[in-house]
Amino acid sequence: MSAEASPMAIPIPADRTRRGTLRLPRVSRSMLLSTLTVAVLLAAWAIVTEMGWANELFLPKPQAVWAAFIKTMTKGYQGATLLQHLGASLYRILTAFALACLVGIPLGVLMGVSRNARALLNPLIEFYRPLPPLGLYTLLVMWLGIGESSKLSLLFLAGLPGIVISTIQAVTSVDPVYVRAAQSLGANRRHLLFHVYLPAAGPLILAGMRISLGFTYTVLVAAEIVAASAGIGWMIWDAAKFLLSDVVIMGLIVLGLTGVVLDLMMRGIARLLMPWART
Amino acid sequence: MMKRLIATLVVSTFALTAAARAEDKPAKVTVGYLNLVNAQLVTKHLGLLAKEMPGVDIKYVKVGGGGDMLRAIAGNDVDFGGLGNPPTAIGATRALPIKGILVINLLDYVEAMVVRTDKNITSLKDLKGKTVAAPFGSTTHYLLLQALKDEGVDPASMKILDLAPSDIAAAWLRGDIDAAWFWEPNLDKAVKNGGKILITSGEMTKRGYPTWDIGVVMNAFAEKYPSYVEKFIKAECEGIDFWLKNPEKTAEIIAEELSLPLPDATRMMKGTGMVPCNKQITEEYLGTSAKKGKFVDTLISTADFLVKQERLPKLLPRADFEAFIQPAYLEKVTGH
Repeated sequence: MSAEASPMAIPIPADRTRRGTLRLPRVSRSMLLSTLTVAVLLAAWAIVTEMGWANELFLPKPQAVWAAFIKTMTKGYQGATLLQHLGASLYRILTAFALACLVGIPLGVLMGVSRNARALLNPLIEFYRPLPPLGLYTLLVMWLGIGESSKLSLLFLAGLPGIVISTIQAVTSVDPVYVRAAQSLGANRRHLLFHVYLPAAGPLILAGMRISLGFTYTVLVAAEIVAASAGIGWMIWDAAKFLLSDVVIMGLIVLGLTGVVLDLMMRGIARLLMPWART
Repeated sequence: MMKRLIATLVVSTFALTAAARAEDKPAKVTVGYLNLVNAQLVTKHLGLLAKEMPGVDIKYVKVGGGGDMLRAIAGNDVDFGGLGNPPTAIGATRALPIKGILVINLLDYVEAMVVRTDKNITSLKDLKGKTVAAPFGSTTHYLLLQALKDEGVDPASMKILDLAPSDIAAAWLRGDIDAAWFWEPNLDKAVKNGGKILITSGEMTKRGYPTWDIGVVMNAFAEKYPSYVEKFIKAECEGIDFWLKNPEKTAEIIAEELSLPLPDATRMMKGTGMVPCNKQITEEYLGTSAKKGKFVDTLISTADFLVKQERLPKLLPRADFEAFIQPAYLEKVTGH
């Protein structure tokens, strides 16, 4: 961990070229293996359904799921197209996640820098972090109603602890040498925060954000069960009521792929903002 | 799942060897019952099923609505269940392994649309721009859409939300919704808190859209333990008879089962239609094995409606719905 975090390590040129020649085949090989996994899964799915080994009610054929995808893209599911459902869900997730970052990162930095702040706030975070989202949700619905605010709050609360905890860890693991060096050069608290703590802790904070986004994502279906009329989570829930398993599976695949894309985007942003970090 | 499979294998092997000597007996019977007001509560309260099936472990599972019951059936979590006609139409169309064997109840004003008194809603047309709730996939969701269609009101002109009955009651108390079509015992909470009834499911029956709940059995159970299906029906019929003959005692039972004041239980009871078992095998209801009754027609028109709503892929031929209704067990029990 500490060896990786040190940006000063100078690689030996010979080693680099050797690695360079090795890198290309290694990447394509892992790509190949990943593709193989997907292909095997798809083939198994196709075979099992074609041979009639699975009840179509529970596991529809890949073509049926594809047809459901095309139909939902063009004609829509119960009044909204797939993109509109996806838009509604992404709006909820990204808004709640942005709020969680806006609150969680400053909170985490504060708790990381100040022992007192940590002692004051820790009981709260530690208490609600392990609460199951659905248990929390019934209360949120009672307090905030069935509208958008209860859904956003649930997603926000799901995302917050991950960010706070990883930010605290990131800040407390900043090498005190950096801090002392900056102080000896006359840095004040503000300087310390923006020029030492945040850049040094940045990569770990971002890693925490990625995990937290994933966690927010897992709560989506739960958030959309109560009184939604659009959203991928709602679509899956509604289709299950009418035993439309093709729509359910299609929705799950869309949800999974969107999650992968979101994560890739987070990594891209990380590379852009913090080129010194390894993601 | 695996355990169940092994258990089934063990049981069936045992059954094969023992078939010649003794009749099969299930170790456990799971009854999924809907959270509403009907004679199943009486049967459960008086332990009539246990009397019919001594030595069998009987488990009652309360299920919130038709959508959840469908999931329970699809997941093989119950042996007997109850379904309203829309979920039944869904289940029959999607080829769930179930058969309809008994009329649990007819729905009169035990189900109704309640509207907020201070919102001046006097007809369905006034619902435009309002927020309306119903449990999707249930009888009331079906009637809501059907009623709107008949009045020429576009469902898209209002916000229709999918909420479970208990959530409707909570959302109503908070003031989040202006109208809701759902059922007792939760319906009453909305009526008592600034609501009035706009239309009941009974009125929709008169307009030609009857709604009811039917008792279903899992095919696998029925094939293995046919006599226990009869025992189940017998117990439920006793419950229905008790309901019809002892309304006061029944009200007390309902009040206790649902933790309601007695007058409320009495009123809710009157909003539920009970059909004596020997009448269930007449033309009006299930009909006979030779000639199936009007329940088939209701199922077909319900399924047709759901197909038009794009909730079902296609309308199956009449024969499939006729095959779903199985009055044979009931015929045996009532001695016809």
